[in-house]
Amino acid sequence: MILLDRVTKTYAGNVTAIDKFSLHVEPDEFVIIIGSSGAGKSTLLKLLTREEKQTSGKIVIGNIDYDKLRDKEIPLLRRKIGVVFQDFKLLSNRNVFENVAFALEIVGHSNREIKETVPKVLRVVGLTGKEKRMPAALSGGERQRVAIARAIVRQPKILIADEPTGNLDPKHAWDIMRILEKINRFGTTVLLTTHNQEIVNKLKRRVVTIDDGRLTSDKTRGDYGS
Amino acid sequence: MKKDRNIKRRLITIYRLTLTGAVNVFRNAWLSLAAMAVMFVALSILLFSVALNITTSNAITGLSRNLKVSIYLQDDVSDDNRFSIESALASSEYVAELEYVSKDEARQRFTESFRDDEALLEGLFLVGSDSLPASYEVSATSLEDFDKVEEIALRTEFEESIESITLGRTDARKTIEQAASVQQYITAGSVFAVIIFTVISVLIIFNTIRIAIFTRSEEIKNMKLIGATPWYIRGPFLVEASIYGIIAGVLAVTAVYAIVYSVGPTLATQEEFRQSYEFITETSTMIMATAATIASGILVGALSSMLAMSKHLRLKHW
Repeated sequence: MILLDRVTKTYAGNVTAIDKFSLHVEPDEFVIIIGSSGAGKSTLLKLLTREEKQTSGKIVIGNIDYDKLRDKEIPLLRRKIGVVFQDFKLLSNRNVFENVAFALEIVGHSNREIKETVPKVLRVVGLTGKEKRMPAALSGGERQRVAIARAIVRQPKILIADEPTGNLDPKHAWDIMRILEKINRFGTTVLLTTHNQEIVNKLKRRVVTIDDGRLTSDKTRGDYGS
Repeated sequence: MKKDRNIKRRLITIYRLTLTGAVNVFRNAWLSLAAMAVMFVALSILLFSVALNITTSNAITGLSRNLKVSIYLQDDVSDDNRFSIESALASSEYVAELEYVSKDEARQRFTESFRDDEALLEGLFLVGSDSLPASYEVSATSLEDFDKVEEIALRTEFEESIESITLGRTDARKTIEQAASVQQYITAGSVFAVIIFTVISVLIIFNTIRIAIFTRSEEIKNMKLIGATPWYIRGPFLVEASIYGIIAGVLAVTAVYAIVYSVGPTLATQEEFRQSYEFITETSTMIMATAATIASGILVGALSSMLAMSKHLRLKHW
């Protein structure tokens, strides 16, 4: 469960990025957040990953109340949330297998556990056989699939995808959407921000619109601009 | 069960951090080499100056002990007066050893010392075999204490009983004083050199780690976003700098002991240096010296690394 209650984020110079934003997301939901550039979508996701701290309001994920979250607990929070970025954020000096394994290494999984788990996840995202490829040798779509594999390898309850198709052509963008839908079917809550009108309209999922930091519409089976 | 799993995961994490740190040493090979070289010089000077100080201190103490104040007594000194001089000397904290040399013993020693010099022995026979005075041979606890011993003998109450006082062989005393003064200069110079090279080491390691942080800034950012703890990020930098300290420490110990073993046996033929050489080459001393040098290296490396991280690794704001 994700709960945002009248959340506001104001930056220096009195610039309000998020303004009294309230949202409630049930477990297993697939929610698409749309809005024009600068509307506050990325800031919203940064608040959820605690890259930014809200100025006021309440954020609760599962049983974690962000107001009570201490700095040293932030890494533990991030281990429970999988995040996929538009620019992939892969480690360029590690191959596909190592990039995914890295998420398990930092929490102390043994090499045996890693060798068992990573191939399964790479199969889910369709990268079997490309384990040894370096990120530079992959297409944009493949890189994004590596990023998704890394985000889900610890089986998080929530997956946040910040414009994951922003740098991809339509074919690869749809590949990514199919993978996100599959992950959602496995029981993971997915929060997706996108500009891609076609994707929003075809997915027929809950659509939340944000404009100037405010929630302007929230429709169960919405489409772009409806 | 869960506790065991946590311990196992922590051990795996420590192993991975150590491995990553070791790999990082080779990633910045030239900078690593520079950092280790300067730290090697600093640690070598430190260890060598400690060895030198032990040797010179022992030698100076040994030589000082051999130097004696001779207090010559009047021929007609009464036993009471002699005993009061003896008791004043024996109760002094500045006196290390005290020996009474009677007129007979003085003559025997003289004869023994100059047995090949017939003219001198003949001279002694002519002036009378009891012409040599009885004396107290006193060694002081340290070189500076000879004057205090002399002050005791110069007390007015002993004026009638004492014929003369000889403060050791003046040239020997001067030489020892000069040696002590040189030792002080060596100590001061060593401390200064160790400080200078330690500061240079800190600066070079600081810079090496700073560059490593900048080179890996993107990686560090990604690590933070996927849930790495601050210590998981800091760990490899700390290990890397500590490895510099370990390698430099091992090399410094090897170099200094190579010098000790090449020069030591020759010096050890002289009594003043033998004790120091034996002490420095004792297994327990060697283990202590190795441990202390490596520990100093790790300390300098780790502190420099922490300094660089506190300034350039932004982990406070997550």
